[in-house]
Amino acid sequence: MEDKRIGVYICWCGTNIAKTVDVEKVAEEMTGQEHVVISKSYQYMCSDPGQEMIVNDIKEHQLNRIVIAACSPRIHELTFRKMMEKAGLNPYLLEMANIREQVSWVHSDREFATQKAIELVKGAIQKVQFHEALDKRYVNVNEATLVVGGGIAGMTAALNIADAGKQVFLIEQSDLLGGQAAFIDSLFPNMEHASDMIRERIKQIEEHSKIEVFLNTKIEKISGFIGNFETTLNHGIDRKLEFGNIVLATGMKSFIPDDIEEYSYGKLPDVITSVEFEKMLLKGQIKKQNGSEPNHIAIIHCVGSRNKDYHEYCSRTCCSTALKYIHQISTLMPEASIYDIYADMRSFGKGCEELYTSAAKNNVVFLMFDQKNDLPVVRENKGKEAQLIIEFNEKLSGEDVRVPADMVILMVAMEAQEDAKSTSQIFGISVDKNKFYMEKHPKLDPVATTTDGIYVVGGCQSPKGVIDSISQARAATARILASIAQKTVEIEVTTATVTEEICCGCQTCISVCPYSAISFLEDKSVSHVNEVLCKGCGTCASACPTGAIHSKHFSDFQILSQIHGVLSKN
Amino acid sequence: MTFEPKIISFLCNWCSYTGADLAGSSRLKYAHNIRIIRVMCSGRVEPTFVLEAFKKGADGILICGCHPGDCHYHEGNHKCQRRYTLLQKYIQQMGIDESRLKLEWISASEGKQFAELVNEFTESIQQLGPASYHKKLSFA
Repeated sequence: MEDKRIGVYICWCGTNIAKTVDVEKVAEEMTGQEHVVISKSYQYMCSDPGQEMIVNDIKEHQLNRIVIAACSPRIHELTFRKMMEKAGLNPYLLEMANIREQVSWVHSDREFATQKAIELVKGAIQKVQFHEALDKRYVNVNEATLVVGGGIAGMTAALNIADAGKQVFLIEQSDLLGGQAAFIDSLFPNMEHASDMIRERIKQIEEHSKIEVFLNTKIEKISGFIGNFETTLNHGIDRKLEFGNIVLATGMKSFIPDDIEEYSYGKLPDVITSVEFEKMLLKGQIKKQNGSEPNHIAIIHCVGSRNKDYHEYCSRTCCSTALKYIHQISTLMPEASIYDIYADMRSFGKGCEELYTSAAKNNVVFLMFDQKNDLPVVRENKGKEAQLIIEFNEKLSGEDVRVPADMVILMVAMEAQEDAKSTSQIFGISVDKNKFYMEKHPKLDPVATTTDGIYVVGGCQSPKGVIDSISQARAATARILASIAQKTVEIEVTTATVTEEICCGCQTCISVCPYSAISFLEDKSVSHVNEVLCKGCGTCASACPTGAIHSKHFSDFQILSQIHGVLSKN
Repeated sequence: MTFEPKIISFLCNWCSYTGADLAGSSRLKYAHNIRIIRVMCSGRVEPTFVLEAFKKGADGILICGCHPGDCHYHEGNHKCQRRYTLLQKYIQQMGIDESRLKLEWISASEGKQFAELVNEFTESIQQLGPASYHKKLSFA
């Protein structure tokens, strides 16, 4: 058996870890541990000099196992695996101890935090001793892509991939392409007509030889894994589709404000949502219920957004949309007075601050309200020319104000689709607390999901406008086209295998495998794992009564040793 | 001196470990006693792991997986739950209070819930006092 030579590296992460954990003490404590040849701390292990230091140590001290105590392995395990390869070591001879997300960021007592870090690193040292070199596995990538959702994000993704000459299956639940943007008149900040853009894309898609569109279609089940997914569409005749990657662009929907009593939506005439106002703009007619033109239009921001009773998040697009309305109203009805009643003006992004500055030049009064404590109240103002009155405390002046209006536009929040949760379950991805699809990492991997080969773009990932949706769609398709260009993709190596000598042939493993990856070899009377189908959950290993199933990288030995290390007294 | 229990926690990689990471990146403070061991799926948590941890001196064990229906591997969490039910009965026979072993579902977005769960569980173990199982018997 090879001589185990372990290098232990404790990251400061600047002050992120070092402020709460005595990193030098942790490094010192590890020096005496069995098989540990070298133990160091350093400011940023993930930096080039940090990695170089480790690579040099590996060469100089013939290290063959590495423990890095730093951030979550979900952030930098891949970085350090690549570093292992650079140093000529198998990437799986690495173990990370999470002393940032699990220690320094969640505890304040330096002594307890340091002790916890020491124990976690000991666990990692014990575990890594039993790590084995694992060979990378590759599968061929099916060149076709499934795009779910025919809105602006989905259409952009479909065209991007198809223009590169690769097949796209575009699935749309409704009977037409276009999504939400099809119901928008013009787009901030430059006021181009949304319909022009949508119509152009629909035409391109319909004429594209590489795009097959399925309207009125819902995906009910997906099987397979990155490179090799499949689904069967039920359209009278079953149609089986095979594809290597998936783009989810299922969009968002608008909040319906009937629960917010203050606004009397649905109770008083001419209190309408931004969605309803947009439809008026599309028709080119801003009309009250009685058919006349309004003279005093009030716009109320953050309806259902940034409010703990509805949605705590900011819906991102409403402030700029409201400013767009001010421009459009001023153009269509120069005489109308406009009141913009906002909580905070968030007209961020290229060209949008300018939209705010120029809106202020119109016939508009900006009034601020306190979103937390004091929502404006819309009441009837009987017998007056403006039949509505809005009462609230204006935050900047501190004065109670009464704003007359004959039309009130509620800038409603954007929220996750009703079926977001069940769709996420069909595709095996996660949703966040607001039911938007969760990205793999908000900064490092913003359009991928934790399921390889599945990407999320547009409003289904978080509320966003056309510009951001298109950017995300293009980002995801770049990732997909790269994987198609590679022709193969690396897949999970941490699969299960059967040690035939000790398999008793009970077939318990076969009954628990969710992927039907295990079969029974009649001639030998033992189970056999098909490693292409296996995804490495390890459920079979836990169920195996004889310990014949070996779950790579999470073996019994490795986990038990880690438990020993974490609970060891010295 | 207050009793500082040793708590071992098995978290599935996809939901619960990510939820714990979220508690970290949101800088939510929770009791320091917990030591997390990552497994790919809660279905990987073998009864042996739990028993070994008690044997080596753990005072409490917290297993977390994805919510039912959300398992990255379809139904590993259901397998975990079935084992857990049996395991709770089994540990009682060994003289270990069943409430020293807990199974909860934590999704990737439930950082706050994770922090609260850790605090509640730690407190409940503190009230129970040290587990004496590993002291009562000696193991070869």
